Amino acid sequence: MTRYIEIARSEFVHLVRSPFKTISLTLFGLAVIYGCQNGYGLFKDHKEQIMAIKTDNERSIDRMIIQYEEIEQGIIDKPRRDPTIPYWAIWNTPSYAFKSPSPMMVFSLGQSEQYGYYKRVTNWSTIFDSDLAEEIANPERIAIGTLDFNFVLLYLAPILVIILLFNIGGLEKDLRFDNLIFLNNISKEQWLLTRFSFYYILTFSLLFILTIPYAFFSGVFQGDGQQYINFLLIILLYLLMWFTIFFLVNVSGNGSSDQAVKMISIWLAFCIIIPGAVHQFSSLKYPANYMTDYLDVSRDQSNKIFELPTETLREELLKAFPTLQTTLYAADTSLNKGIINRSLSGLVNMLNKDVARTIEWSSEKKNKFVRSYSVLNPITFFQNEINTLTDTDYYAYKKYRDDIQVMIDKKINLILQDTWNKVSVDKEKYIQYVGSFK
Amino acid sequence: MINIILNEWKMLVRNRVFIYLTIFFVLSLILVVWMGIIQNSTQQEYRTNAQKHVRKQWDNLEAMNPHRAAHYGSYAFKPNNLLNSMDGGINDITGNVIQLEGHVQNEIVYSEASQSLSISKFGKLKSSLLLQYVIPLFLIFLAYGSISNEKETQRLKLLIFQGISMTRLIFAKSLSIWIYGLSLLLITIVFQSLLISSDPEVFQRLALLILSYGSYYYIITSLATYFSARLKNNTSALSAILATWILWTIFLPKIWGNAVEKIHPLPSRMAFKAAMKEERSKGIDGHNPTDKRREQLKNKYLTEYKVDSLQQLPINFDGIVMQEDEEYGNLVWDKHFGNNYNILQNQKGLYQVSGLLNPFASLQSASMGFCGTDMIHHLDFLKKAEDYRRVLIKALNDKHAYGGSKTGDWGWKVDSTFFRSVQGFSYNAPKINDQIGHYLIDILFLLWWVLLITFLIKLNTNKKIIL
Repeated sequence: MTRYIEIARSEFVHLVRSPFKTISLTLFGLAVIYGCQNGYGLFKDHKEQIMAIKTDNERSIDRMIIQYEEIEQGIIDKPRRDPTIPYWAIWNTPSYAFKSPSPMMVFSLGQSEQYGYYKRVTNWSTIFDSDLAEEIANPERIAIGTLDFNFVLLYLAPILVIILLFNIGGLEKDLRFDNLIFLNNISKEQWLLTRFSFYYILTFSLLFILTIPYAFFSGVFQGDGQQYINFLLIILLYLLMWFTIFFLVNVSGNGSSDQAVKMISIWLAFCIIIPGAVHQFSSLKYPANYMTDYLDVSRDQSNKIFELPTETLREELLKAFPTLQTTLYAADTSLNKGIINRSLSGLVNMLNKDVARTIEWSSEKKNKFVRSYSVLNPITFFQNEINTLTDTDYYAYKKYRDDIQVMIDKKINLILQDTWNKVSVDKEKYIQYVGSFK
Repeated sequence: MINIILNEWKMLVRNRVFIYLTIFFVLSLILVVWMGIIQNSTQQEYRTNAQKHVRKQWDNLEAMNPHRAAHYGSYAFKPNNLLNSMDGGINDITGNVIQLEGHVQNEIVYSEASQSLSISKFGKLKSSLLLQYVIPLFLIFLAYGSISNEKETQRLKLLIFQGISMTRLIFAKSLSIWIYGLSLLLITIVFQSLLISSDPEVFQRLALLILSYGSYYYIITSLATYFSARLKNNTSALSAILATWILWTIFLPKIWGNAVEKIHPLPSRMAFKAAMKEERSKGIDGHNPTDKRREQLKNKYLTEYKVDSLQQLPINFDGIVMQEDEEYGNLVWDKHFGNNYNILQNQKGLYQVSGLLNPFASLQSASMGFCGTDMIHHLDFLKKAEDYRRVLIKALNDKHAYGGSKTGDWGWKVDSTFFRSVQGFSYNAPKINDQIGHYLIDILFLLWWVLLITFLIKLNTNKKIIL
């Protein structure tokens, strides 16, 4: 044991005396801070934007309440879009679906820059609306990528490890005194393992020390503590993967330069070529979807619904929403075009849901394809695991789309029930609506 | 000098590993180019089918009111440039579909990146990925020991005693490796041009790509050789050039990319939409009959046609209002979208300036630009799509106003003959001659680096370095 401590101690001296390594370590530390700061900045931006929308919504609700009071007191006439009709009252009920950022977002922006995180939901909304597109940003900047912690860990940490390890065992070979070391009753593997362990602990400690303040600042420990622990475990595992690969390189290495060339080639293969190849194969097998099925629903098939006679539409609505059978209008034999027109979004929504299932299913097929290469493509695997923990992966946004759909369904059901029950909306009823979407 | 280059090549060719690696590179490049072309043409086929599908729907529209047709609208699908197979640029990130309809300028949506899990942070395995990352790294591996090996084996002293100039030796060594990189580049380009098109525009773009990549390879090989000559041993030379490479390709592009967004910030979507809505509300609301500005327009037309009521007008005033609404909207879109586009172009300009310190930034920008997959080409597509939207909606509004119907006659319909007469959307990518101004700075910075490294070698290397 004393010998191992001694080796680690001399490794520390070796590190401190190497300006190239200490500068790299410092730069890496700065990159970690920069990456976390970028994540923290976006996390704060998202929170502030969501708060601003919520404040705006409160104002709009207040304005509506005043309008109801003025209508009830006869101060103003009903506007063109009559708020006493459930359809317009619900239309004017601010209902936003938010993808609230996880505090863990500080550690990975993931796919957050490819999707929107707030959406005003109406009964005509769909989960593929254009207002769900990503925030306005420079596409070249997004293509180049953001230096977040995830990037620093996945792509720069191995480079730091290369810098720290490339001459471990190599320098001794360069200077041709490697055999002298093994005269000290230690095997080459043990000697290298001890030295590698020193750098493994050092790299992990550095990452832990630098990330923990950001975990505190963003509030990770107020509910996401387990996620943070899992995140640390992933870091441990990821570093272990690289240290193992580089250990094998150094065990069979022929000097510092030879080891450096092999290490950087492996980095290039794992970080750039293999993910790039999987990306290309997945595009070949599953080309970008132009969403024509969805476009057809939003135009042609919706139009066909609008063209149907009122009587047919009434029957279709009763068939699609059996709960309407018990409403006042269902009991009424006369045709009310206004009620039917205000209910049409229900039928269109059903078409939208069908097509959304098909689209999500085709995306899932592509995801399965990508995941099937995880053994060959560990970087993408770790990348998506971290994105899952930070709630910024494809599935986090799929869940957000699901939440939007639930909200749309809720709006439509409210409209249908209250329209068919011929409810007249007053201030109290409006406040009830507001409560339903909080 | 030619003798040294030939000698270097003889040494390289004698090395079996080098031969195997060269065969591997050539096959990989050919395979990657071929795969890129297949992927591009498959995607293009999907795109063509989607555009045809949408056009067919338009051609077969049942008789309807022109304004309803304006709401029905159309779609523009972003085409892939021929050289997208070489460098995908921003195409995976940006949307592919833009809805063209009345009253609103929409944004492009449905990017490929949003349709699956995140895969590669450096893009698809296209030839640009190999040419930008893999080959330069291989050139570094060939060059970093070119002089330091001679120093370590003491051969350098022998060479110097034989009367060779140190500067000439460094140039010859770096040129021999540069020629190798250039050969790989030319193989890629030749194969690419054989498989795609004989269009002179494509050849012009490929020639510019040769210039850009050729310059970058010169910079990389010369710098690696320079470090090899100046630094004390192989390990130091390799460390220095790898550190530079990492800084150039990994660190600086991301850090500077983030910085330019902070220097020229874009509005948030919320602020952008709110500002447009606010300004839009100051114009005519085409769907609100009680709008005051509509009243003013009505009076203007009544006076012009010398009639007392809208019913007496020989035209349909509703169509006039819709077009007036559209014209006002266009001013608003031009202002706000225009402002965003200006910010984006300022960001790009500032990013390109980083080429002064980082030739890789210039190479990346030039590569995307010459392949027609950068932001400039993307914005051009958006502009052309918007121009088409305006033509389409004006045609529909004019038909509504002057097609023979009367004001308020929303039941009036036009048949599919009219809809078929409206030209479909077609897009031709801009010619590189018209766009070259955007990329001159990239070429200039690459050439600046070529000169800088050449002077550095010329002025800063002498026989003393062997001591």
